[in-house]
Amino acid sequence: MNKRRLFFGGITILLLVAIAACMMVIGRGHTMYFDNKKLEYEGRTIDTIRRINVNVNGEQVAKLSAKDRGMATFTGQTLKFNLEVIRQKGGESEFYDYTVKIPYGQDGMVLNLPAMIEGLPEEAYATVFVPQVVEEEEDEEIVTDEFGMDMDDMGAEG
Amino acid sequence: MTEYVNESSRTTMDKIRAVMKEFGLPRLIITAFLLLMCIIAPFTGANFWTQITNVVNRFSWNAVLVLAMVPMVHSGCGLNFGLPVGIIAGLLGATLSIEWGFTGPMSFFMAIVIATPFALIFGLAYGWLLNKIKGGEMMIATYVGFSMVSFFCMMWLILPYKKPDMAWGFEGTGLRTTFPIDKYYGGVLSNFLKIQIGKLVIPTGALLFFALLAVLMWAFLHTKTGTAMTAVGSNPTFATAAGINVDKIRMLSVVMSTWLAAVGILVYEQGFGFVQLYNAPFNMALPAVSAILIGGATANKASITNVIIGTILFQGMVTMTPTVMNGLINLDISEVLRVVVSNGMILYALTRKSEVTR
Amino acid sequence: MNGKNTSTGKKILNLIGNNAVPIMFIIIILICLPMSGFSSTFLLNEIMNRLSRNAFLILSLLIPIMAGMGLNFGMTLGAMAAEIALIFTSDWQIWGIPGIVLATIMSIPISALLGLMCGKILNAAKGREMITSYIISFFMNGVYQLVVLYMMGSIIPITHTNIKLPRGYGVRASVDLTRIRKSLDNVLAFNVAGVRIPVMTLLIIAAMCLVIVWFRRTKLGQDMRAVGQDMEVARAAGIDVEGTRIISIVISTVLAGIGMVIYLQNMGDMATYSSHSQIGMFCIAALLVGGASVDKASIGNVFLGVILFHTMFILAPKAGAVITGNEVIGEYFRVFVSYGVITVALVMYETKKRRAKASMGAQLEAEQKEEENR
Repeated sequence: MNKRRLFFGGITILLLVAIAACMMVIGRGHTMYFDNKKLEYEGRTIDTIRRINVNVNGEQVAKLSAKDRGMATFTGQTLKFNLEVIRQKGGESEFYDYTVKIPYGQDGMVLNLPAMIEGLPEEAYATVFVPQVVEEEEDEEIVTDEFGMDMDDMGAEG
Repeated sequence: MTEYVNESSRTTMDKIRAVMKEFGLPRLIITAFLLLMCIIAPFTGANFWTQITNVVNRFSWNAVLVLAMVPMVHSGCGLNFGLPVGIIAGLLGATLSIEWGFTGPMSFFMAIVIATPFALIFGLAYGWLLNKIKGGEMMIATYVGFSMVSFFCMMWLILPYKKPDMAWGFEGTGLRTTFPIDKYYGGVLSNFLKIQIGKLVIPTGALLFFALLAVLMWAFLHTKTGTAMTAVGSNPTFATAAGINVDKIRMLSVVMSTWLAAVGILVYEQGFGFVQLYNAPFNMALPAVSAILIGGATANKASITNVIIGTILFQGMVTMTPTVMNGLINLDISEVLRVVVSNGMILYALTRKSEVTR
Repeated sequence: MNGKNTSTGKKILNLIGNNAVPIMFIIIILICLPMSGFSSTFLLNEIMNRLSRNAFLILSLLIPIMAGMGLNFGMTLGAMAAEIALIFTSDWQIWGIPGIVLATIMSIPISALLGLMCGKILNAAKGREMITSYIISFFMNGVYQLVVLYMMGSIIPITHTNIKLPRGYGVRASVDLTRIRKSLDNVLAFNVAGVRIPVMTLLIIAAMCLVIVWFRRTKLGQDMRAVGQDMEVARAAGIDVEGTRIISIVISTVLAGIGMVIYLQNMGDMATYSSHSQIGMFCIAALLVGGASVDKASIGNVFLGVILFHTMFILAPKAGAVITGNEVIGEYFRVFVSYGVITVALVMYETKKRRAKASMGAQLEAEQKEEENR
């Protein structure tokens, strides 16, 4: 193997690894949950808000009345979103912009919006999302198809 | 004196090495594995005699299907991946015999009788095709088998079978995928002269039936035609020079293999107790191929001993591993093990350089 | 005048004989088409969808054919590599285009390794590459099961419960790929008269075609063709026959892996234990339907094959239902046709090979006689 070839081969591999690493960062998907719920923090009680609309990239992803939860999925570590807050019926809208960072290893995060709007620290409004564990009674049966006769998976049905 | 000792010890060593070489590394591993299973089995709470009964039973179901490999290997047609062709003939015999109202042992006999002409026709056509494509038998045999099975998938639906034991409902839209045959020939061979000692059950009838076919095969291979067949397989050029009609002998071997496969599936069904149609024959060729290879056969050499040893080892592996593995680590990887070992064995045989004849 | 007529007649006959399989398929399609009652928009949409889904996979078969190794049933290995890569990217939650790119990159080393192994085994089984590659695919399927069903989640970390089996190890029978579903197809996609054109996927396929055309002209491509023509002659000419054959299988496996990623992103759902087992057979059948043979296949065969084979695939169940009142018949029919086509192509190839050998033998004999006469 000549040196030139080895060099280019090495460069290609490095490039691929670099692209892969890059993809792992920008493609990492997360789910952000938005809560419009009551919160107790250091003795303070923060009440729900009548109506919050959540916009991501100019698109409305959730309309939250009191006690509602909404969600948005996104890739990358930061989510920029805009809140439209309506405190009373027919009242004026207040707008807030936020940028939230989510750790790489964390799939989902819950944000308590009233607490955020109130300006409480991150530890107060952000919690790790823990999916409910659904107890499954039995393992699903694994059918291994050696001969490829089961055609449904071919997408034959469209 | 010392030289003499040296020489004799060397020859014994050589002998051992030669035996080892002939036995082959994978076979050695499988045998060792099986022995290990036998030793471990009692500690996992599995009854030793039940295990033996299982192995013997499975042997009696499958041995004839493995025997069906022998004629084609002898005539140089390679491993019969087209086993499903014969199996289809057997299934036609089985279903027609039931459809026409035969019951009990008679239905088994009639199934063989009815399957025979189909096996002859299929075998002749299949043999003719294989003569056209000498050298590429194995791949084409595989796909001929597959085409045949998928063609008959349609046939099982279309053919006007009426017997409610086999057909779907009243509309009569074809045969069921699986149906029990206890009313017909389920266990006719296995229960004949059955010996039961405690937990050990020996299906004498089925073993005798296999022995009969095996002896007949052995006798045939020692007739003039039989030796001609071996000659065709080991050296076609020489055989032609000796005035043997190579194509005819090959055709005969294919017909024999096909008929044996037809009988083999009937024997399998009588032991298993069910007839399986549609996609089931797909799964039958590879285990039979790998069984005879495990028994020490190569792509162009196979004996009755290979059949017996191979079937015992293969079926032993298939039946013992699930119970032992489950008892030991509560993990059933036997299915994966079967796939890897059986296909690994075929691969091993395909890549032996010494066996490449063409 | 007369002579010319017969020669053109012969030419036409030859043309029909050489393209028997595609012509047969066109006839089947023409018969089934009016019976199915599908609208042309629906059909065109389906065909476009399947073309973008399968073409890349089928392209991966071309290079081993060039190297004289026949139909690479071992392309299944690439498909397995892609599936393993996709299981990881799903578990790591890499979504969208980045997910596809990452899965592609991850599949490459796995495919290359499997291809290397496959190529080495095939070198030990010269002259029976096809049956050997076919058995390799079964063998590796066992190993794949061992890895995915027993080692993933126990030895290889898998965290998400929607991928892992409830028992704590092993991957579920179906892996949800909705997060990358059609994300490649949707790039730059637009509709023409109700038919959706997945531009990006088609561009990638077109690029691959160009690469194959270019590859044929490189030194390596020329070597491969020489090896495919005659191994001994190639060896005498100083070509590393074994190495060239291994490279052709490695390239094929890697391409199959990339093709499988494209295939699965279109499907949006992955049958963990069966997706790959069918892929080899269908791709090979489609290529053969396009008029390819075991020793000769072109890019044109790929596209004609995908279109004809998949049109038949769409039409057969409906037509079967119309003819016999049973849709299942049509499903069995298309399986039968797939196997049948492969069988016919293999038989045609072997008879041609034998005939060529026989005529060469006759020629040699005649030459020898001439020599003696002198």
